Amino acid sequence: MDSTLFLQLCVDALAVGGLYALVALGLGVIFSVMRLANFAHAELVTCGGYALFLLSDWPPYVALPLGLLVAVLAAILTERVAFRPLRKADQTTMLIASFTVSVFIQRLLIFVAGSRPKPVDPLPGINAPIDLGGIDISGQRLITILVCLGCLLGLRWLLLRTSIGLHMRAAAEDFSMSQLVGVRANEVIIAAFVISGALAGVVAVLYTAETGFVHPRFGVQIVLVGFVATVIGGMGSLPGAVLGGFLVGGLTTLLQAFLPAGLREFREAFLFGVVILVLLVWPNGILSARSMKERV
Amino acid sequence: MVELLAIDNLSARFGRITALNGVSLHVNEGESVALIGPNGAGKSTLLSCIVGLVRPAGGAIRYAGKTVTSRLEDTVRSGIAFVPENRRVFGSLTVAENLEIGATIRKDRAEVHREIAQFLEMFPNLAERRDELAGRLSGGEQQMLVIARAVLSKPRFLMLDEPSLGLAPLIVNRVYEMLNDLRKTGLTILVIEQNSGRALGFADRTYVINGGRIRLQGPSAELADAPGFDDAYFGYGD
Repeated sequence: MDSTLFLQLCVDALAVGGLYALVALGLGVIFSVMRLANFAHAELVTCGGYALFLLSDWPPYVALPLGLLVAVLAAILTERVAFRPLRKADQTTMLIASFTVSVFIQRLLIFVAGSRPKPVDPLPGINAPIDLGGIDISGQRLITILVCLGCLLGLRWLLLRTSIGLHMRAAAEDFSMSQLVGVRANEVIIAAFVISGALAGVVAVLYTAETGFVHPRFGVQIVLVGFVATVIGGMGSLPGAVLGGFLVGGLTTLLQAFLPAGLREFREAFLFGVVILVLLVWPNGILSARSMKERV
Repeated sequence: MVELLAIDNLSARFGRITALNGVSLHVNEGESVALIGPNGAGKSTLLSCIVGLVRPAGGAIRYAGKTVTSRLEDTVRSGIAFVPENRRVFGSLTVAENLEIGATIRKDRAEVHREIAQFLEMFPNLAERRDELAGRLSGGEQQMLVIARAVLSKPRFLMLDEPSLGLAPLIVNRVYEMLNDLRKTGLTILVIEQNSGRALGFADRTYVINGGRIRLQGPSAELADAPGFDDAYFGYGD
């Protein structure tokens, strides 16, 4: 393989994997604190996308923060309305609730905005290729990689260096013990939803920049892949979510590049086939969370 | 003497099993009290009711003159620190972070850091490993860490659930030395033990619980020799 192609593939894998890692982290943050696999995460991404569509006439420095804010507010709203009243319910009830929220928002968007795709271009002009030492990289890919890296470092700092991060890690390990030392349940759960919503907002920006449109089921596919990434990495482990995201991204890129043209259509089938193999070797994911004590 | 904790006619059930059946006890301010009894006597259930982990079926718990709320996170804010059974150290946090999180409810950060440094001075092997994950510590080290975590909330009242469980006798000595030092600072302590000798040697007063009821109570010094002690502790099996 010549080195230009190799570099090109690396860039693609990092961009795709970074995006999956952000989705997997958004899911992982909620799962680690609440033991909830939040299927409505897809709709947080979708809401962010629609907000960007509505803000199309505004310059990016206005539209992007507001789009992010809409995703965060949507996350807080789902927690307040759907999940908080069920906090003492069992995990299955919470799971069903997240499905309900997901379908509800999808149908609401069809009702309000219609099911046709809407054009979105949140980062105008970034698709121009940038020449990096002989290889052309699309600006969009480069920005995706940089933003993902920034989010990963930012989240790492938040979790390891701030007191809310300390509280979240303690709650993730043993929720009732963390309450007994004085950690407020509402505080860590809201923090988890804010982080999750913000990550969904960032994904909305990067993903609409790549696809150029938004529709009511916009977030579903990427969040499904994000779920696969968290399962591969190990449910409840945030480093696992990142690892899973990059593995799935890398694999997708390789399959896209090296599958015979006639088989590319079935790329996902090969992808999920590999996922099954990984889970046969590591049934709890590659980096399974050390402690999986029950929620209160 | 001020009554800090007053439990009146408390009962608790798990499904059809009665874990506590009309238990009354009290702890005065500044006192050290032990609650001893065999496995399954209802000791842990009692503490779980006080901190809000289990909702009682009947009776009343009053702490510092007020009825106890059932919200877990308010327990420590009312001045009650809890060292649970099996320690429940945060194994994925470092030693230093476990101490830090013990002081969650406090605002005086400078004083907190001074107290953490003071504790680490007393336990050099924990000081050496302050940035290691607490899950890697030995059982005895975890027990010391968890007691320190509880004390860092500056409690008025410390409750411990079987602090000697699963530890070698020499380590148990160190745990009780630590508790004795805490007692001297005026802290009120309620300790649960199966290890009756250890508890009787430590506490001012002792209650013997068995089959969900208090069977015997009195000053620890008199209790061990009291007629009926063996019956109270060993009798009443299912």
